[in-house]
Amino acid sequence: MPQLTTEHINYIIKDLHYRGLVYEPLQNELVDHICSSAETEMEQGKKFIDAYQEVLKSFGHTKGLRETQRQTIHSENSMFKAMLKNYLTIAMRNLRKQSFYSVINITGLAVGIASCLVIILYIFNELSYDKFNAKADRIYRIDSEILFNGNHLQMVTASAPMGPAMKEVYPEVEDMARFRQEGTILVKRSIDNIRETNVVYADSTIFNIFTIPLISGNPKTALVEPNTLVLSESTAAKLFPNDEDPIGQTLILDNRHNFKITGVYKDIPRESHFHFSMMLSMESLKDSKNDEWLSHNFVTYLLLRDGASAQELEAKFPKLIDIHVTPMLKQMLGPDVDMDAFLQAGNKLDYTLRPLLDIHLHSDLSNEFEPNSDITYVYLFGAVALFILLIACINFMNLSTARSANRAKEVGMRKVMGSLRLHLVNQFLMESILLSIFSFLIALLLTYFAMPFFNDLAGRQISIPWTNPAFVIIIFGASVLIGVFAGTYPAFFLSAFRPINVLKGNMALGMKSGLIRSGLVVFQFSISIILIIGTFTVQQQLSYIQEKKIGFNKDQVIVIQDAYAMGDQLQSFKDEVLKNSAITNGSISGFLPVSGTNRNDNVYWPEGADPSQDNMVSLQVWSVDQDYVPTLGMEIMEGRNFSRDFPSDSGAVILNEAALKMFNFTEDPIGRKIATFGGGMGANGKPNSVSFEVIGSLKDFHFESLKQSITPVALFLRKSTSRVSFRFQASDTQGVINTIQNTWVRMAPGQPFQYTFLDQAFGKMYDSEQRLGKIFAVFAGLAILIASLGLFALTSFTAEQRNKEIGIRKVLGASVSSIVMLLSREFGKLIIIAFILSVPVAWYAVNWWLESYMYKVEVGVVVYLLAGLASFLIAWLTMGFQSMKAASSNPIDALRSE
Amino acid sequence: MGICNQLNDSASYMHNSLMYRPLMHSPELLKGTLQTILLKVLQDNGKMYGYEITQKVKELSVGRILLTEGALYPALHKLEAEGLLQTETVLIGKRVRKYYTITVTGKSLVKERVIEFREFIKTMSAVLQVQFA
Repeated sequence: MPQLTTEHINYIIKDLHYRGLVYEPLQNELVDHICSSAETEMEQGKKFIDAYQEVLKSFGHTKGLRETQRQTIHSENSMFKAMLKNYLTIAMRNLRKQSFYSVINITGLAVGIASCLVIILYIFNELSYDKFNAKADRIYRIDSEILFNGNHLQMVTASAPMGPAMKEVYPEVEDMARFRQEGTILVKRSIDNIRETNVVYADSTIFNIFTIPLISGNPKTALVEPNTLVLSESTAAKLFPNDEDPIGQTLILDNRHNFKITGVYKDIPRESHFHFSMMLSMESLKDSKNDEWLSHNFVTYLLLRDGASAQELEAKFPKLIDIHVTPMLKQMLGPDVDMDAFLQAGNKLDYTLRPLLDIHLHSDLSNEFEPNSDITYVYLFGAVALFILLIACINFMNLSTARSANRAKEVGMRKVMGSLRLHLVNQFLMESILLSIFSFLIALLLTYFAMPFFNDLAGRQISIPWTNPAFVIIIFGASVLIGVFAGTYPAFFLSAFRPINVLKGNMALGMKSGLIRSGLVVFQFSISIILIIGTFTVQQQLSYIQEKKIGFNKDQVIVIQDAYAMGDQLQSFKDEVLKNSAITNGSISGFLPVSGTNRNDNVYWPEGADPSQDNMVSLQVWSVDQDYVPTLGMEIMEGRNFSRDFPSDSGAVILNEAALKMFNFTEDPIGRKIATFGGGMGANGKPNSVSFEVIGSLKDFHFESLKQSITPVALFLRKSTSRVSFRFQASDTQGVINTIQNTWVRMAPGQPFQYTFLDQAFGKMYDSEQRLGKIFAVFAGLAILIASLGLFALTSFTAEQRNKEIGIRKVLGASVSSIVMLLSREFGKLIIIAFILSVPVAWYAVNWWLESYMYKVEVGVVVYLLAGLASFLIAWLTMGFQSMKAASSNPIDALRSE
Repeated sequence: MGICNQLNDSASYMHNSLMYRPLMHSPELLKGTLQTILLKVLQDNGKMYGYEITQKVKELSVGRILLTEGALYPALHKLEAEGLLQTETVLIGKRVRKYYTITVTGKSLVKERVIEFREFIKTMSAVLQVQFA
């Protein structure tokens, strides 16, 4: 058999290489194969080159060769399971070997993911409001905006006749339902009254519009008859504890009215913008049939037909309003005032349709059923969640690349041993995915334990949807995705090493290749500083609100609710309680300077002038008694308070500063008179009027949230029996409560005794801010914790890297403190850069948030400096610990090995 | 059933180029038998290198089955990766020769595959109503 010469073989090797055969395990084999094949051909007398060509032909030339190579590599790699197992084994081994970094990575990532998860669940909860309604996308609420003589009202209420008129006139309105808020009432079956909040009058059509299933009763007839009502399941359980059938039973409301129960509905889901405990039939309410287009008391919902456009419908409103409102304007303001003139005078009467699904996150108007949430919170928390996750991922990236020095040799060896880049990338990704999955498992555990605390903090009841398959899939998908995201940079960074450089030791890795790493640390700490500044600002604004001079003394006042239950005995009840020496003052009035108490407004003008659009002032009309001003600690500036010595005070009024300004009474107000409509027409063809004399001026006081400015208020000496307030001395609060309660029970047996403290009611107005502040503080803390964790690991890594250097420095006489400085300086610089970068962003964000407040705290430079100092201190402490450890170690240990 | 599975299984590493040069046998007919052939030949003949295997198969089939390189090497490498074959390389002057031998796992698989194939022939004989020699 002829043997090929070395030149022939070299030719074949070269030629095959030229044709693209580079896969080494196959290359040798094919060379041998082709040689053998060619030798056989040459046996039949062919020349080498012909024989070679013949063999190549049987391979299918270059194309066939390459295809064979491709197939071979492919068939080897299709051992996917085996490779995966191998990656997994190596990854586990690496994680275990580097347990310190693994623990830091997993802890940081787990805390980050848990925070993120909690926030995401919160956001989903926010977005799910009112979606339980099957027809939610077709339901709209009529919102009204009224601008009249400088009085700006934005309300969720419309007039009584508007809804029915719209249903009649517009074909695209399929149905309409109105609610009238009744608030709190007393309910009894026979003897004892129970206090029910969230009571409304409702049209019988609500069951067509909202998805409120009736457990018993017929939705078509339940609210049709006057003096009928439906109860929520839990109210029914409260009133009928012994499993009696409530249907057909009679309830006595406010000790006066008999209502028949015609239905029990399932409790309205938590994720709804209203939660009524009972609904009374609208037929029972006389007002519901009135024709007063300018009296806005009814929350009105429209159900549009499929495909109807809300915008097109809105565009038709002005015409309808014109028809009905103009006659009322003429009657009120004179015959020459029509709608156009009214609007031209700068007034406004606008009605808009708000989609049901927008209400929870976008609506913050007067007369909402319940305070709604705000879309800015969703954005804010979403951003915080993202930031925390980013910080955690950055930790991961930084630690992986920092450790690259230790792994560079591994990469070099693997490459020399024939590892393709793809294999290395796979290996590193596998490690990070594994880490991420571990972190997710721990995060789920953390979330499980943290959820109750968060719910407490946020005032929610969010549960983790374990059984929802979508949740499980998303969690698993996210864990892989985050693993890939966090692992991509290290994977490509590490796998790009050139083995020759790495193995020769030419690459000075570790801390030096760290431009990106430094950038990421700066980013982490910028975010932390921004969050700290945000937290400080929220706290400052909150305490500013609490401490601000609000114009009355909110402390040491107890408010007894539903005092009207006492009936005629109310005055003697007050006198009886005042016999206690600890109680200094008492006042009967439902109007209090905290939201959620009585409000009433009406228009007035200076007496003498004819009422016109220019001189009418819309006033808050509060009915109070003679003891109101001292009980609430308000301040009379000029004139005097109401007094029992002046019987004529029933025709007197006390105005606040804002009201005086609107009437132009700022100079010498005492003795001036204001007038209002007295009802009916006088003999001269003008409406009758009644007038009141100003006897005192009152220092402005806040009576709504500080987000709103102070509007004109007038106090009148009238009866308002829904609340009694007592001012008491600080010493014995419990004793005061007991005294009042005993008196109450004695004088009004069977009536519920309910009290609040004025300062608590005041604090409640800022409930959502308080929650925001606390939640923000918690997550800012977590963000800093995670960032510090990363910094801790990075410093310890540097210290480890510079172990020998430190040893030599110490031998040469460096002090511990100078070495600590040396190690901390590098990161110290980064923190300072982070501080400089974060200040403008924080300044912008803080101002944006404060914008929504009418009265806001000045955020001084101190806050910024404090935040910078805090983050610097935290970072320095983390680094300091590691640096100290490194600096105080015995140099012998570091240097002995060489 | 087992036969069908095996056929499908084997189809996965087929590619477009002809696996066998059809002197007599169509490639469709022979699809799925490549692994069995390779394993059996290696079991019967001990250690062999790639070219030797093609020659052996050619000889055994009296020239009716010609293994193409494009099918042979991917199949060999796959069997090696699966641990059914093991290799050793021998330096012959300038050339590196890679010898394949069957492993213990490979041997147990051969037995299975051959039995399976015999069953297949029987079934085919019944289905086609032809008595094979």
